[in-house]
Amino acid sequence: MTAAIEIDNLRLKLGRREILKGISCRLGVSGSGKAIGLLGPNGAGKSTLIQTLLGFHRPHAGSARIFGFDCHRQAREVRSHVGYMPESDSFIANLTAVSFLCLMGELSGLPAETALEKAHEVLFHVGLGEARYRTLGTYSLGMKQMAKLAQAIVHGPDLVILDEPTNGLDPSARLRMLKLVKEMKDEHGMSVVLCSHLLRDVEEVCDEVVIMKDGLIVHQSNLEEERRSNRRFVELEVSGDDSALAAHLSALGAEMVSEGGGRWRIVLPLEFEIARLWQVTAQLNLGVRKLTHRRDSLEEIFLKAVGHLQATPHDRLHDVPHADAVAAEEVSPHGHL
Amino acid sequence: MAIYKRGYERYQGPLTSHWTRVLVLPRFAWRRLFQQRLVLILMIASLIWPLLCGLFIYLSNRLDLLQSLPGDIKNMLAINGKFFLIFMNVQSVFSVLLAALAGPGLIAPDLANNALPLYFSRPLTRVDYVAARMAALVGLLSLVTWLPGVLLFWMQSGMAGWGWLTHNWYLGTGVFFGFAAWILVVSLVALASSAYVKWRIVAGGLVLGFFFILTGVAEMLNAILRVNWGSLLNPTRSMYIIWSAMLGQELPPGPGVWECVSVLAVLIVLLGMILERKLRAVEVIS
Repeated sequence: MTAAIEIDNLRLKLGRREILKGISCRLGVSGSGKAIGLLGPNGAGKSTLIQTLLGFHRPHAGSARIFGFDCHRQAREVRSHVGYMPESDSFIANLTAVSFLCLMGELSGLPAETALEKAHEVLFHVGLGEARYRTLGTYSLGMKQMAKLAQAIVHGPDLVILDEPTNGLDPSARLRMLKLVKEMKDEHGMSVVLCSHLLRDVEEVCDEVVIMKDGLIVHQSNLEEERRSNRRFVELEVSGDDSALAAHLSALGAEMVSEGGGRWRIVLPLEFEIARLWQVTAQLNLGVRKLTHRRDSLEEIFLKAVGHLQATPHDRLHDVPHADAVAAEEVSPHGHL
Repeated sequence: MAIYKRGYERYQGPLTSHWTRVLVLPRFAWRRLFQQRLVLILMIASLIWPLLCGLFIYLSNRLDLLQSLPGDIKNMLAINGKFFLIFMNVQSVFSVLLAALAGPGLIAPDLANNALPLYFSRPLTRVDYVAARMAALVGLLSLVTWLPGVLLFWMQSGMAGWGWLTHNWYLGTGVFFGFAAWILVVSLVALASSAYVKWRIVAGGLVLGFFFILTGVAEMLNAILRVNWGSLLNPTRSMYIIWSAMLGQELPPGPGVWECVSVLAVLIVLLGMILERKLRAVEVIS
């Protein structure tokens, strides 16, 4: 399977400053309709990475490939497969939305008649149908964002790169934008790269996430897998004598750690049914005060990746000795970590 | 099905060729240019002189009165290199005005609205973009320069006969290549100006200023230093000298043909460098 984006030791200097410092990763799968979130603090190199993928900058070492095409040497082929929505305002003020999209469609290789048809179709799709004969200069910020999205998908690209698509949108417009992005990947099979500083947007839409800091990738994870593993991660709070709880749950294959005061963090094995947990607590005569699925939020992952958080709750669970060992050594049934 | 009832579907059909895509830009540019009343008026005005020249060619070949004039007067009214040189001079003024009016509207709005990333994220290189913008201007200026010039040449050839054509073939090539070189210079000045200042009106002023101010500066230098090489700073004068050589006319006092060619070549390189520096998908501040 060809990766949508393959980056190998990519280095880029602008002037004397090295912006990208040897990035390597494989993202997405060609034709699979996955969304990749690109996160990072300001100045991390996200937009520069996108621009390098589009062939705007020449890397001084390493390579980047989109659908197997080299982003610098085969820029034309790469750009035929890509739609790009820039972060800043980019349009031609005195063109109507229809003419603008026709122009962009034809430049991407659509025949003139098809481009006109697609322009109308896409403008209705993004909700600008009624305003399609207005000049872009008269559009509101939200409408301009939608027009930018429309020009990025008018030619039906395989990969759409969206740079801060929800910037300046009100809540309802933001939801609409995210819905369109989800549709692009789920219904139309497009791969999407979503560059945003809004973690909620990325969390809602993306399947993979890459976090950048100082020109390097500091974290890369598959959000789908994270979500799956989060489903096995529970927080339990009980009343009563819970000293035997660890031993009972360990026998069922669970890993756990006590936080004291009857609070436990537990990683359940894959086949474990939550009903068993209720049975164990009933058997030990424990009252269940709270049972929740605890998940590492993207915010926690992000803060840890950029160095503002020591560890996520999930990491903390894995940093301590195995629960069996805790139980065996009888350090303390309510011992703090 | 009505378009608003259709959902979005990705286009999966065949794509157009590379050059078809490049030519989309001039097509859109011409459509917009000819919607401007001023451009249309100027275009029509710039075709009056070729029409008058055509009338003159017709009369000089048809009226017995002109044929029977004494030798000196007849020579003055002859259709020769001088006639075409005057024609080219007049049309060059109109071409500068047209370039000043139409040229800045080609690049400046793209820069002002930050549209270049949209173009360059498509299968279009910077060279393609400049070539496409230039093609829009070349097409427009051709309508008032070499096209009427070559038409006049063939009109005269048709009326005066094979003998005139064999003796004066160089006038046709001179008109064509002379105007081609002029269009190249004027188009590059217009594109570079609009790439440099971003504001359309200022860019238009800069195009006019480039030609008129340099003419003044060159004349001042010549007068103050009592030299004639100052004319090299004047692209209009340099081009006039080259045209004179191409049309077999006596060269005016001043720099030689090859000096003028060299100066214009340097100018073209400099303007190309401005475009190379200014037309980037993203501005990099080092």
